[in-house]
Amino acid sequence: MKNALDKNHMIEPCIEKSHQATLFAKNITKRYGTGSTEVIAVRDVSLMIQPGEVVLIMGPSGSGKTTLLLILGALLKPTHGEIRMGEEDLVAMSEKKLPEIRLRKFGFIFQDFNLLSALTVKENVAIAAQLAGLKGRQARAKAETILVDLGLEDRLNFLPEKLSGGEKQRVAIARALVNDPALILADEPTANLDSKIGQEVMRMLRRIAKDQNRSVIIVSHDPRIKEIADRVLWLEDGQFKDMVEMALDPVCGMAVERENAPASLEYQGETYYFCADGCQQEFASSPQHFLSPDHSLQHKV
Amino acid sequence: MIRSFRLYEASISTLSVLLLYPYSYEMTISVAVKNLLQDKVRILLSATGVALAVMLILVLNGFVTGLYQQVSAYLDNSPGTLVITQRGVTNMLGATSLIPTDTMDRALELQTVADAVPILSQFVILNLHDLKQPAYLIGYPGGPGTPASRGGPWNIIQGREPLTNGEMVFDQVLAKRHNLRLGDRFELMGQEFKIVGLSDGTTSWMTSFIFLRKVAVEELLRAPEATSFLLVSQEPGIDQAQVINQLKQLEGIEVLPKETIVANDTKLLVEVFSTPLQLMAGIAFFVGVLVVGLVIYTATIERQREYGVLKSIGACNRFLYKLVIIQATVAAALGAIAGIGFALGLAKTIMHFRPEFLIIFESDLIWLALGSSFAISLLAAIVPARTIAKLEPAMVFQRGR
Repeated sequence: MKNALDKNHMIEPCIEKSHQATLFAKNITKRYGTGSTEVIAVRDVSLMIQPGEVVLIMGPSGSGKTTLLLILGALLKPTHGEIRMGEEDLVAMSEKKLPEIRLRKFGFIFQDFNLLSALTVKENVAIAAQLAGLKGRQARAKAETILVDLGLEDRLNFLPEKLSGGEKQRVAIARALVNDPALILADEPTANLDSKIGQEVMRMLRRIAKDQNRSVIIVSHDPRIKEIADRVLWLEDGQFKDMVEMALDPVCGMAVERENAPASLEYQGETYYFCADGCQQEFASSPQHFLSPDHSLQHKV
Repeated sequence: MIRSFRLYEASISTLSVLLLYPYSYEMTISVAVKNLLQDKVRILLSATGVALAVMLILVLNGFVTGLYQQVSAYLDNSPGTLVITQRGVTNMLGATSLIPTDTMDRALELQTVADAVPILSQFVILNLHDLKQPAYLIGYPGGPGTPASRGGPWNIIQGREPLTNGEMVFDQVLAKRHNLRLGDRFELMGQEFKIVGLSDGTTSWMTSFIFLRKVAVEELLRAPEATSFLLVSQEPGIDQAQVINQLKQLEGIEVLPKETIVANDTKLLVEVFSTPLQLMAGIAFFVGVLVVGLVIYTATIERQREYGVLKSIGACNRFLYKLVIIQATVAAALGAIAGIGFALGLAKTIMHFRPEFLIIFESDLIWLALGSSFAISLLAAIVPARTIAKLEPAMVFQRGR
């Protein structure tokens, strides 16, 4: 798993591969308002997603994650930039054509599941297939196949209100998959699930991505999702930033950035980071004392 | 009514445009109906609103239709194609007419005239059980040896036609209301008559018909040989305009086709009432639109997140419009069916207790009701459809909505 990605490092060497990519976004910016009220939600972001790749976008609240997801999913037009799916330029595309693109190229998974309350599990999935042009019986058969694959064979005719959170999210995944999209966009998919179910659902999503060669972009606060991601991107102030790896100073216990730590020291093949030269000197005088179980060891944050 | 039909046609064409869209009907109808049925109170409210509107539209229009029939009933069931009236008189009901006494003989002298039936009529106020009851007195040349229905009662359900000057045929509704039976004596303008027959189809909520021999009415009015109207039958194969031109040569009269007299009577007696009745029907339609519109709008607002979800996964506005329209149409169709049932029940009840009110549901009227409910559903769907059109698919990603 790659943790940190500088946008230029990510894009430039791969520019020639953009035509093979599931999605290629370049210099995406989204501004709201003008003048003194202007807010830049997404700032010059570039991103390329390869087939079968699972990308996790993390970042603090208000960092622009959901706005970026909306833009990548053709639900929101960027102020400027370019988004390509194969030969199609999603930014230049007319509003009338976008529903068709969303229907066939994207699968959406929402935090609140967003199932249609009046429809059964099977109908919730079949409706997406029917919107894409499948006839009723075919759509229901396809929905059923996917739902059975996801372990919902006993819940096909249940209304959403009768399902658990994990089951609802699996139905939402089935709906996202039913039109064979190249890219699945998931917005905080584990936020309403307990830890165990959340991890199960995410593993399921990774398996689907790998088995069916579909790309997945997940926007989440949940650090446990890192496990299933091929790539984790950190969005802050509307920009991708390197994931900062933190370490604890073994002497004073303070968290320090590894790359910007004022001092560091190699000891028995490990690198230790310090908040100041004093701590380094203290550690160097008696390393075993600071590495004893009584003392905090190095941690990744 | 014509306006309502135009609206109906416009609704049909609007819907046909909306129906031309790429998604399967089965899915759309299924989703729409399930959405609607999920809240049974809501659909009940919506259908009841339409049902009441349709019932009012039907009953009020049925009442107007009944009025038309009542006003034209006499001439529709009398002989002849032309009516001769006093010069300047263009109505029959509600008008006083007296034509020259030699008019009938001179008319019958014409080769083009096959028959002429003299009628002496008078609008009278009866005093029945201390209630003033308007009635229309018809004196017609009935009696032994004369062919039936020569300007007299056309449907005697009890008894017979008057054979003497002291006999009368009474309208059965009026008779029933005042407990008058066959053989009863009835005083009219100071003279006593025996009720020998009861006629049907000879009443309206404005007035009822009483039939006497013409001679009896002449005596009653102290106007020997007086004639109000002449019902003229022309020889077969003769152009009506030719007969009218010939009759117009006679002095002191007007010659009018029956239909013109009916139209004039209708204008005088029905249209006075039909305008407010149509206005009430229009208000009922408007209330129906408001009720269904409000219910569907509320349902749309409540489900706007779900509509947003459908938009975000790729449903276009047309599909969502159709969902709303079908919901409104189903509610309106259920309401229309219930409304037709209510209207039939209400009309039957009204006519049972007040038979002078004739309420007629012709097939046109039923189509009007169905068309109205359809128009209600389309109009009711406009605001919710606009709400959906403005819905941003991205809203489903907003938390707490």
